[in-house]
Amino acid sequence: MISDRVKSNLKRTFFQSLLPKIGLVLLVSIILMATFAPLLATHDPTRTGYYDEQGAEYPPIGHEYTGSIAEDGEIVEITVEPTSEHILGTNNVGQDVYSRFLYGARVSLLVGVLGTIMALAIGVPVGLIAGYYGGRVDDALMRVADTMLAFPALVLALALIGVFGESPVMVPDPFVMIGLADGMPEAIPIPGTVTIVVGLVSWVWFARVARGEALAIRNEEYVKAAKSFGTSDRTILLQHVLPNSLTPIIVLATIQIAVIILLEASLAYLGFSGTTLSWGYEIERGQDVLRTRPWVSMFPGIGIVLTVIGVNLLGDWFRDALDPNIEGEGR
Amino acid sequence: MSTETPDTAGAGDAPADGQPLVRVDGLEKYFWENNSLVDRLLGDDPVAVRAVDGVSFDIQEGETLGLVGESGCGKSTTGETLLRLQEPTAGRVEFDGQNVYDLEGSDLTEFRRDAQVVFQDPFSSLDPRMTIGEIVQQPLAVHDVGTEQERERRVRELLERVGLSVEQLDRYPHEFSGGQRQRIGIARALALDPEFLVLDEPTSALDVSVQAQVLNLLDDLQAEFDLTYLLISHDLSVIRHICDRVAVMYLGEIVEIGPAADVFEDPKHPYTEALLESVPRASTDEQDREIETLSGDVPSPRDPPSGCRFRTRCPKVIPPEDIDIDRAAFRAIMDLRERIEGRDISLETVGEDGQFEFEDGRLAVGDRSEFVATLKERVLDRDLPARDDAIVEEALAELAASDWEAAAERLRDEYETVCERQNPPLSGTGTETRAGAGTGTGTGTGMEKAGPSSTSDGSSADEDHPVACHLFAESGHRAPESDSR
Amino acid sequence: MTNTQQEILRVSDLSTRFFTQEGQVNAVADLDLRIERGEVFGIVGESGSGKSVTARSIMDLIEPPGEITDGSIEFHDSDLADAVRDDYPEAVDGEYVDLLEVPPEIRESLRGTSFSMIFQDPESSFNPTLTVGEQLAEAVEVQRRASSRPRSTRAKTEEYSFGSFALSTVLPSKKYVTEESRNRAIELLELVGIPDPVERADEYPHEYSGGMLQRAMIAQALAGEPDVLVADEPTTALDVTIQAQVLDLLADLQEETGMTIVLITHNLGVIARMCDRVGVMYAGEIVERGSLEDVFDEHVHPYTEGLLGSLPDLDGTTGRLQPIAGNVPSLLDSEMENRCYFADRCPKAMEDCLDHPPEYDAGGDDHEVRCVLAERRYDRTRALPDGYFGETERAAADKHADPDRTEEDVQPERAEGTVESSGGDRL
Repeated sequence: MISDRVKSNLKRTFFQSLLPKIGLVLLVSIILMATFAPLLATHDPTRTGYYDEQGAEYPPIGHEYTGSIAEDGEIVEITVEPTSEHILGTNNVGQDVYSRFLYGARVSLLVGVLGTIMALAIGVPVGLIAGYYGGRVDDALMRVADTMLAFPALVLALALIGVFGESPVMVPDPFVMIGLADGMPEAIPIPGTVTIVVGLVSWVWFARVARGEALAIRNEEYVKAAKSFGTSDRTILLQHVLPNSLTPIIVLATIQIAVIILLEASLAYLGFSGTTLSWGYEIERGQDVLRTRPWVSMFPGIGIVLTVIGVNLLGDWFRDALDPNIEGEGR
Repeated sequence: MSTETPDTAGAGDAPADGQPLVRVDGLEKYFWENNSLVDRLLGDDPVAVRAVDGVSFDIQEGETLGLVGESGCGKSTTGETLLRLQEPTAGRVEFDGQNVYDLEGSDLTEFRRDAQVVFQDPFSSLDPRMTIGEIVQQPLAVHDVGTEQERERRVRELLERVGLSVEQLDRYPHEFSGGQRQRIGIARALALDPEFLVLDEPTSALDVSVQAQVLNLLDDLQAEFDLTYLLISHDLSVIRHICDRVAVMYLGEIVEIGPAADVFEDPKHPYTEALLESVPRASTDEQDREIETLSGDVPSPRDPPSGCRFRTRCPKVIPPEDIDIDRAAFRAIMDLRERIEGRDISLETVGEDGQFEFEDGRLAVGDRSEFVATLKERVLDRDLPARDDAIVEEALAELAASDWEAAAERLRDEYETVCERQNPPLSGTGTETRAGAGTGTGTGTGMEKAGPSSTSDGSSADEDHPVACHLFAESGHRAPESDSR
Repeated sequence: MTNTQQEILRVSDLSTRFFTQEGQVNAVADLDLRIERGEVFGIVGESGSGKSVTARSIMDLIEPPGEITDGSIEFHDSDLADAVRDDYPEAVDGEYVDLLEVPPEIRESLRGTSFSMIFQDPESSFNPTLTVGEQLAEAVEVQRRASSRPRSTRAKTEEYSFGSFALSTVLPSKKYVTEESRNRAIELLELVGIPDPVERADEYPHEYSGGMLQRAMIAQALAGEPDVLVADEPTTALDVTIQAQVLDLLADLQEETGMTIVLITHNLGVIARMCDRVGVMYAGEIVERGSLEDVFDEHVHPYTEGLLGSLPDLDGTTGRLQPIAGNVPSLLDSEMENRCYFADRCPKAMEDCLDHPPEYDAGGDDHEVRCVLAERRYDRTRALPDGYFGETERAAADKHADPDRTEEDVQPERAEGTVESSGGDRL
């Protein structure tokens, strides 16, 4: 399915321009960070604690707290500036920002990828079938899709979370299980409902793109030829329509990963994620101290921006490389 | 396929009274516009686009029937519908005596093996993501023919036969030129050893030199594999070169059908004549050849003209019996009628700026004669006989009061022609049984003899060369008795 | 045709190349053309022969990655010669001006008034959001302004600004530039035989049929009363009955205005109908040129012969067609050898063909051929052996399949180098 031509186009467009290289470097480093988070982290990202002005640790008190507290008559700031102990500082419950940044990448990427896969799994079949059969089938499926579009994604997500709850799924950490990263959390929570919800609000885009492609491809003469010698619709859909509509779908998928990461961040920011290990949630936490302690929000924010840029740059690269009209197709 | 056998029976092994391999009977295919859910909710009525509107013909085994016409005349739709790539609106197609649209299960599978198609566009007819080996093998895989090795061998054999090298098996279509791709398409169509091929403009995307290669190839293949062809093309010289018989289509209908030599040398229908005349010949005498070009454009198949569909452009449109007028003048009057009926004249812009002031759509009485004169000059570019001139002026005078209805009526009363009242049947093919042939199927009653019969021997259309034109309507009287063949 | 026999256009050694991913494509190489005032000159060729690129080179419409790399295009215009003589003496030769030596602004100012072009696809040549009349009026306006200024200044000043766009959405009445230009637009529509020009002027392009749009495009090209009309496949997209109308129209207009027409087409019938003289293009050069009779009846080049032999004719007398074997050659510089480019497909290829042939005089008035056959007869003993160029594909599968043959045939490379991506010159 991936022909030599596609490979050579991918290669050529990669070396032709700086942007895909930047995208690849960004994304690969974020993926590496996320994968090896337990090894790279300096602290347990979930452990809270108090620190005095010198950064010395006080015992945790077990509940979240914002601002400054008075203890023994002394004012103690609980957000610590970047020090050698906490290289990116701590947030306002004393968690290590650097470690949380690494773990947050895990959640963001996982939700982005899983949500996109889910959207693909629903949207592509629906779109292909609607476009290929047309008529009533198309009418029915596309009206459902339009209805989905009529709801703002965020509102729909909030409603669904409201109904189904947050249902976080605890995913055990392989590094901790084999004993490579002691002291790190044994499992990290993946926001279950959020993953499903972002998939549900995104499939419409895939359905629309797939439908448009299928509409065009079903009129291609090779599809008519396949019909003329009696190929079944199923085979035509799998053998001709799907492969030939993949290019825009792949491009859309990369972009959609970025959209979903942002959506997850927004939901987490609003406090609907089911996990506190999330860039969006972290941004919200730093909001109150943005002026005085900007690092709390800034680093997760940078994480989101870089991931989204990286994914988009890769998407552009795929688009340029896979578009058969650009080169070599003769027309 | 040899060019000098106009014999209808085609290849020798078909019995003379034998059943045709393909019999198309009253085939109709309409496409519907404004037919979506939303349109229906908004109360828009669907509009029928009559792509194919009652087409009947036979194809004998071993022969090549050409289907020729301009773009939008429905020739490709006919091809696709008769292969059941699209469901027909009405009519039937018999293949080997069985109605194609009733086929199911193994009968349908067999039909799918026996009838194949070669498309026009060598770029879109091959899946760009498959190698040519895979492409040619596809039909074999679908029908589960032979083992893997046998299929492979068959594919090599086919590619060899159409003149491609087997080393190219693993290449993708974009690596080939247009002519080579068309050969690949032909190899694919031959894979299942079909009896019948629909060739849908197989060479119109190719250069002439490559076109000639492909035409020769098709010629050889027909002889070698006893193929029956339906060749769809807009190129008259290709049709002439390759076909035994020809059907000429105009706006969804067949206007003339017959042996290629007859149709090309002695065209009967004015449309066929015009079509043939319009083709520029590649010879140095060409500049001295006088041609009479057809005026106007093909009308929309959404709203085809009543009666004979060619009447809006026909240079030989028949005047009413009691009127003595030459052809060109009558044509001019008919054009004017159409514009009035279509309200396609802007009255406000007649004359110099502000010369004629319309109030409530009416012109002051005093201005009328001048208005009529100015308007006439604009819409008519020839002088009419005195009597007709008077009638036209009366009609135009109605326009001075913006009374389109009355103007149209005045002209209709006087000049209604048989060409618009009745759709001439394709006479000579047993019209009674062909219910789909448009509005007028009764032939014997209202149609009287037409004006001066044009061609010397043309007063009757013979049985194997029927034509749908009122100029040849006499033959319609005896057609029903003599069932074709 | 005319007695004066004055050459209005002299193209010499024109080379246009495209610099693509795959390498340098020699779309047009060392092309010479002499076009006389008032004649209809036809350029005929297959896809990739460079005929469209030639037209675009003359019109100065070559865009990157294409570039005119060499040659001159001399245009006869004494006024223009006087106007630019002082500034660009090297461009002027008597009453001829080499268009490639003058700055782009001057070339641009000639477009429309001296040269006009009509294209194959009328639909994409009109803006769908403006009425045909407005677009014609605009063309008229531009030409009027251009001719009211001295040659060398910028012709198309008053740019269409966003302000005027905003204004036009609010004030729909401000459609036509002036009433005069509107009237002129209507006149033009009438000139090209559009019925009811007054009404049609206010219609949008989608309300026109293909044939009418082609007429409207001709009208647009005529707005500046050009001396030379370059028609690039003007009837290829049209049905044959409409084609006949448009050809008639072009012939009538040519007769009326005396303009020169350069007609580019792949259709030999159209050439025969319209042209006084013909050039046959192959692989970026003119391989045979002369009067219509020279080329159609007295042709020397085997390619011309092959083209005419490939053509089925209408009276059914052709018998088996005699196609040219093989495919259109690649124009990639790296794949072009220094030989007659047609030799690999030529049935009469001889050893002499391994040198690139110059233009030979083939007898007759201005009948020239790039083929050694003009000089000497075909000599079987000097013929190149079969498969000399590495057979890529059997000609027309005329011969029967011979399974053993595949072993010998080891050079399929040349088959893939089709030129579709080179110059946008299909058909």
